[in-house]
Amino acid sequence: MLNPQRSLSELPKTSTASQVERVVLEEEFNWLLKEEVHAVLKQLQDVLKEASRRFSMPTPGFENQLKQENFILGSSTSMDQVKGVLTLQGEVLTQADINLKVAKSSQVLHFQFREDKQWKLQQIQDARNHVNQALQLLSSRDESYHFKSGAEVNKLMDGVMLQLTRARNRLTTPASMTLPELAASGLMKMFSPPIPGDVMVNFYINLSKLCLTVYQLHVLPPNTTKNFKPAGSSVLHSPGAMFELNNNRFEVSHVHKVECVVPWLSDTLVFFTISLQLCQQLKDKISVFSSFWNYRPF
Amino acid sequence: MSGNNLVLPIVLWGRTAPTHCISSLLVMDDFSTIITGCHDGQICLWDMTPELEICPRAMLFGHTASITCLSKASACSDKQYIVSASESGEMCLWDVNDGRCIEFTKLACAHIGIQYYQFTIGTQREGRLLCNGHYPEILVVDATSLEVLYSLVSKISPDWISSMSIIRSHRTQEDTVVAVSVTGILKVWIITPEVSRMQDLDPVFEEESKPIYCQGCQSISFCTFTQSSLLVVCSKYWRVFDAGDYSLLCSVSNDNDQSWTGGEFIAADKVIIWTEDGCSYIYKLPASCLPASEHFRSDVGKTKEGSIPPLVYRIADRSDKQLLICPPVTRFFFSRREPFHKLLIQGDSAGRMSLWSIPDTSPLQPQSTSVSFTISLQEAFDKLTPVSSGIIDQLSVLPGKDEPIKVTASVYIPSQGRLVCGREDGSIILVPATQTAIVQLLQGEHMLRRGWPPHRTLRGHRNKVTCVLYPYQVSPRYDQRSLVSGGVDFSVIVWDIFTGEMKHIFCVHGGEITQLIVPPENCSTRVQHCVCSVASDHSVGLLSLRERKCIMLASRHLFPIQVIKWRPADDYLVVGCSDGSVYVWQMDTGENQRTIKEGNLPKYSHNALVVQAMKTNLTDPDMHVLFFDVEAVIIQLLTEEAQRPNPMLVSPETLQKSQAGADKGGSLLAHKIFKQVKETMKETIKEHLLDEDEDEEEEMRRREEKSKSLSLLEYNLTMDTAKLFMSCLHAWGLNEQLDTICLERLGMLRPHCPISFGLISRGGHMSLMLPTFKESLLRQLSLATGRKLSLSDIVGKGTYGVSRAVTTHHLLSVISLANTLMGMTNATFVGEHMKKAPARPPRPGGTPETPRRTPAAPPQPSNPALQAQIKQGNYKRRETLTCSLVLVVFLTVCVKRVCVCVVVIVCAGWSQLAAMHCVMLPDLLGLDKFRPPLLEMLARRWQDRCLEVREAAQALLLAELRRIGQSGRKETIDLWAPYLPQYVDTVSSRKYHNFVC
Repeated sequence: MLNPQRSLSELPKTSTASQVERVVLEEEFNWLLKEEVHAVLKQLQDVLKEASRRFSMPTPGFENQLKQENFILGSSTSMDQVKGVLTLQGEVLTQADINLKVAKSSQVLHFQFREDKQWKLQQIQDARNHVNQALQLLSSRDESYHFKSGAEVNKLMDGVMLQLTRARNRLTTPASMTLPELAASGLMKMFSPPIPGDVMVNFYINLSKLCLTVYQLHVLPPNTTKNFKPAGSSVLHSPGAMFELNNNRFEVSHVHKVECVVPWLSDTLVFFTISLQLCQQLKDKISVFSSFWNYRPF
Repeated sequence: MSGNNLVLPIVLWGRTAPTHCISSLLVMDDFSTIITGCHDGQICLWDMTPELEICPRAMLFGHTASITCLSKASACSDKQYIVSASESGEMCLWDVNDGRCIEFTKLACAHIGIQYYQFTIGTQREGRLLCNGHYPEILVVDATSLEVLYSLVSKISPDWISSMSIIRSHRTQEDTVVAVSVTGILKVWIITPEVSRMQDLDPVFEEESKPIYCQGCQSISFCTFTQSSLLVVCSKYWRVFDAGDYSLLCSVSNDNDQSWTGGEFIAADKVIIWTEDGCSYIYKLPASCLPASEHFRSDVGKTKEGSIPPLVYRIADRSDKQLLICPPVTRFFFSRREPFHKLLIQGDSAGRMSLWSIPDTSPLQPQSTSVSFTISLQEAFDKLTPVSSGIIDQLSVLPGKDEPIKVTASVYIPSQGRLVCGREDGSIILVPATQTAIVQLLQGEHMLRRGWPPHRTLRGHRNKVTCVLYPYQVSPRYDQRSLVSGGVDFSVIVWDIFTGEMKHIFCVHGGEITQLIVPPENCSTRVQHCVCSVASDHSVGLLSLRERKCIMLASRHLFPIQVIKWRPADDYLVVGCSDGSVYVWQMDTGENQRTIKEGNLPKYSHNALVVQAMKTNLTDPDMHVLFFDVEAVIIQLLTEEAQRPNPMLVSPETLQKSQAGADKGGSLLAHKIFKQVKETMKETIKEHLLDEDEDEEEEMRRREEKSKSLSLLEYNLTMDTAKLFMSCLHAWGLNEQLDTICLERLGMLRPHCPISFGLISRGGHMSLMLPTFKESLLRQLSLATGRKLSLSDIVGKGTYGVSRAVTTHHLLSVISLANTLMGMTNATFVGEHMKKAPARPPRPGGTPETPRRTPAAPPQPSNPALQAQIKQGNYKRRETLTCSLVLVVFLTVCVKRVCVCVVVIVCAGWSQLAAMHCVMLPDLLGLDKFRPPLLEMLARRWQDRCLEVREAAQALLLAELRRIGQSGRKETIDLWAPYLPQYVDTVSSRKYHNFVC
């Protein structure tokens, strides 16, 4: 930290860069534009290609088919009331196997995806597309390209960072939905045997975790004295949340959340963070010279 | 500045054009307007003549992120609407004529393409917007309400849509939407009338899904000439497909390392394709792609790539493109009316537009065609004479230099009417805002004075000043003398605003200061006397103004700091960074006494004038927008009128009596005060006329000394504001006699040149006229009237020909203000009363009033007793009142003889002015130069809470209804009748109808 009490008279001596300093600065800046920028871009591309590859891992032996992985979902809190085995192939859930132990009757409900149905996780697809867009931006500026100004590099970095932030945000922030939206989402029609009317399920990604939420509902009798207040949109609704669907009023009685870490998703999140930092560091390097190039026309 | 208040912006752009890094562009169907969106979120409207000359007209503000796409949003030519979408999911519907925002909405996802689509159900035509973007559907949005109606969904491998095109069928009612997904799958949806009518959110599934292996698709377009082929442009190749069964007809890959960014059919057998770096190429299609040829589809199914079609034209890129910071945007448009231009348009990062008119006949040899017209925003600004003025240009042009020193940061202090401008050379200028605006906008004797108005210069920063903060304005807990500024020299300086002294300099940051923020009320007492500074080295500091030291420095954030939030109860400072990360810091206050404030601060009432500095890009200099709140101006005028002594008191008889009775007492004293005030004023003016910009220490010290006296130059802020405002609004040059009265009796001033007004519309959206608007207005009016007009011909009255909404606002303002001034005593802008505000009551908050006066001791106190009296007057309201009463009495004595007749003339002048704007304007201007006010806007103000505005609206509405005559009234009723509730029985409603007509 500089001494804030430093007197005024000392300051002007260090203020204006001398002519020699300017020449050195200019040389340094040119080196940055010609060499360093491309080195960073290369590194960025490598990291992002690695991230992009994670989204489309082929099955060993069958190169044109995406790898299928099974995930057993569990939870530390809920007492094994919900068990789920999900099969993920790229961005698509190809199979879900859910066991639900109903509390009062100790009866176990079991349902799985219908043969003809798959469920796409939009969050993963969006993240993949954003990364590919970032890569596309970078690929247009290969080593043969000559950057003419710092502003140009900044603009490119802004574009790349926007895509990367979006990609990361898609994975870190699942869509928040209202309960009627969830009921209408088509997910309820995926199962065989069909899901009973008092159960709702939801799949989403939260950070690197694949999550399954199961809501158990009970119908509110029409003449109930309870104050009916429909719940807003949320990622995870809590017991007591109410909603209206087809003139029936429901209340959430139990919520079970089980999850499992998807290793390649945590890899991609790390890659996103690394690339974002690389981008910012490059911008910071450019900004060191910003006051210098402010004096030039561009 | 809510939508309900009548607020009029006037903008001073300065000589530097705003940064406009073009991200999308659109040409309206009638080829009279080009619209460009930029990376900073602004939209620019450019007027285009049939000779393809373009001139920027207005800039629209409201989006918070880069504009991703633009589309027309209405079919008819009398109502020109466009829709814009931004990176942050905002969508906005604008009126192209005046830049009004009609509707806006925000979705969670960003659109990258929008296409307008009109369909017909019976006789009813409805507009739809088809949107694609960062989501796996095509959203169908209502073109007037911007509500999502339904979506076009894929069953098979749904993914983001890269590009789409609407194919209209003339044979059937069914139209087709063809789209390519990011994974290169062609999707086809059929829109039937039944589908279009659908209002619920049932998705529509695709008819066909076919992989065409076009990854990274940039554009897809349908050949309107043959109706049977599609052009798909990808970054590395372009392909032509049969529009019937989507089989590949030809594929051309690019041999150099450029990438294609788009293309279009320009004839049945020709396509134009453009690249990322701004070159365009015209190709002649091979016979296998032409339905008219016998070889059509002869290559279908063949694996080999066809021969590269001959290149007909190469449209050259410009030589200065190395200055660009991102790829330019290119688009191709057909004109649908004479002279049937085929126009290639390019907009680049330097705000430059280039047009190429593509000739129909083409030579066989490839050749370059030269640009038809090119202009950048900056060039348009440079061409202007007189140049576009900045708010303190007269104080910023150094001798021997052309360009004024740029203003880089500014803050307006409404309570003092002062503007603080930090400049790129590190100096800070304090100047009365209305006075400097008058210099820039209006003609008058001030033009003869150099360095007018009196101002103060603070020197301390060694380079660009990046932010200025006046903490007392945010909270009265701060010393009202302190002004804080930050610069690119990493320092934060605390100034005494009244003496111009540098109080302290903080050097705690390792980067340029980017923000200065005031902590909230309920922080600990120690933090309460701090300001928070943010720097570009990603650090944030708490600088105590009282202790003159930095009490906390939080650094090592990895990303630039975007936002600071406070958790005073926990003593936390929360830092939000640009990558979305959040850091929580303990403010570490030492003493943990929290102060809980009792009662609320007197909330800032509306200010008559607010000067807001704006910049479209961080690297730009400030431009200044003067917001006039008509209601607040009226209220302030009336308040001051009420505080003025009753005119009955100063009737000639009372005057004589009081003079006779208190000859030795009051009036003598008043005489002395008055004389002294006058002398000091003269002196100040004299001194400041000699004001030179020298850097010598002595000069600075001298200035500091004299700037103490500067504060004595008091001027009546309210009357000054009204003067500036009325002078800008008056339609000069329509009535010579009235103009003379305005100039000589009412004290108004004629503007230098047409003034750039703005228009505030819904949700804080704003349109500001660029200074170049007058060029295109001039051209337009010259065309309409058939004679050459000069700039002076449209001064003042030109804005009444811009748009109906603008006319409505301006007329309402000018009439309501004229009526207010008519009811006031001596409401003229000439005379001594302009220099001194009438005494004001102390503020409800109990803060000491009139900060200007506190340090305002006269330099040569000739009479200490007198001085003491003046000082006392500052703190005791009653005495001030007496004092000013005596002053007024004295003044009235001086002008006793002419008084009565002046008042009558002034009053008549205002009434004449109001009458002219209310009834005579349409006749005087002629309908080609006058856009009549909007009836619905006037009707909405029929019950405005401000009586003066209400009366003006009622008078204007009646005048307008009279003007449009019976047929016009009938038309209006027919137009609005469908929106009326149906419960009135038909007989009485017909009666009513006849009655109204």
